[in-house]
Amino acid sequence: MRIVCPFCGERELGEFTYLGDARPVRPAAGSSEDEVFDYVYLRDNVAGPMSEYWYHGGGCRAWLKVARNTLTHEISSVEPAAGVGAAKVGA
Amino acid sequence: MAEFSWIARSPLEHALVVGAHGARGTEAGVWLTEIRNFDLIQVMARRGKTAELAKAAQARFGVAAPETPKAVRVPDATLIWSGPDQFLVLSNAGKHAIEPLSQAFSQSASLSDQSHARVLISVSGEKARSMLAKLSSLDLHPAAFPVGTAAATSVDHTSINLWRGNDWPDGQAVFNLLVFATFAGSLWHTMLDAAAEYGVDIRHSEELA
Repeated sequence: MRIVCPFCGERELGEFTYLGDARPVRPAAGSSEDEVFDYVYLRDNVAGPMSEYWYHGGGCRAWLKVARNTLTHEISSVEPAAGVGAAKVGA
Repeated sequence: MAEFSWIARSPLEHALVVGAHGARGTEAGVWLTEIRNFDLIQVMARRGKTAELAKAAQARFGVAAPETPKAVRVPDATLIWSGPDQFLVLSNAGKHAIEPLSQAFSQSASLSDQSHARVLISVSGEKARSMLAKLSSLDLHPAAFPVGTAAATSVDHTSINLWRGNDWPDGQAVFNLLVFATFAGSLWHTMLDAAAEYGVDIRHSEELA
């Protein structure tokens, strides 16, 4: 599997580290215990298209958001995760 | 308080043995040269200050800092892309050391002095690309990696900054790589092993190519 880093270009899998599901959003302060528990611990075991965080630690050290099909490993999009690069903060 | 006298030493002081290594009998296929005594400053744009950094870099160096994986040469420094909104400034003789650059980028960037944190190795020779092909997954063919191309990548599980400098007058390609000081010995031995079959000419120098 290869990932096309938006900063570096196409690179081998060995340069990247997998973090996990990019969908969970941190619940607002004061959310219920169930919502926080869900956010921290509960993950879907997706068979098909999934949005994931990957870290290009062996290259430009940017965090990436990758849309990948977990059945075929087909990658449909790669974009910088929020906060990558000073220019993209808040964008 | 005790007085210390610091002596700058290369992390390759013991690993690097000047002379020939590996196959003999023909001209060395790979030239490995460690470049010592350089200034290396990491420049990273502060939040929302990318445009200011670009202006400050233009004012300081007379060229735009690289925004894509490139290495840009100016007469007394090389600016090497190292990631989004960041680059390395390589120079020597204090021309672009941490003090003058801190002034130049005080409003736009955070700086980190990497001069003694990295080892700079220059790889050239007829078989340089064959040797690097054993270690790197990048395509270093001139068509894909022309002069001035840079990459933040990994070789032998070690992060490096790699860029292609100007060719030697005889047309040989020059690949420069920066590696973390504590990983330099390991990478050095890996490169010696990879290059042994071609014959290696080992040197060190203080001249930035």
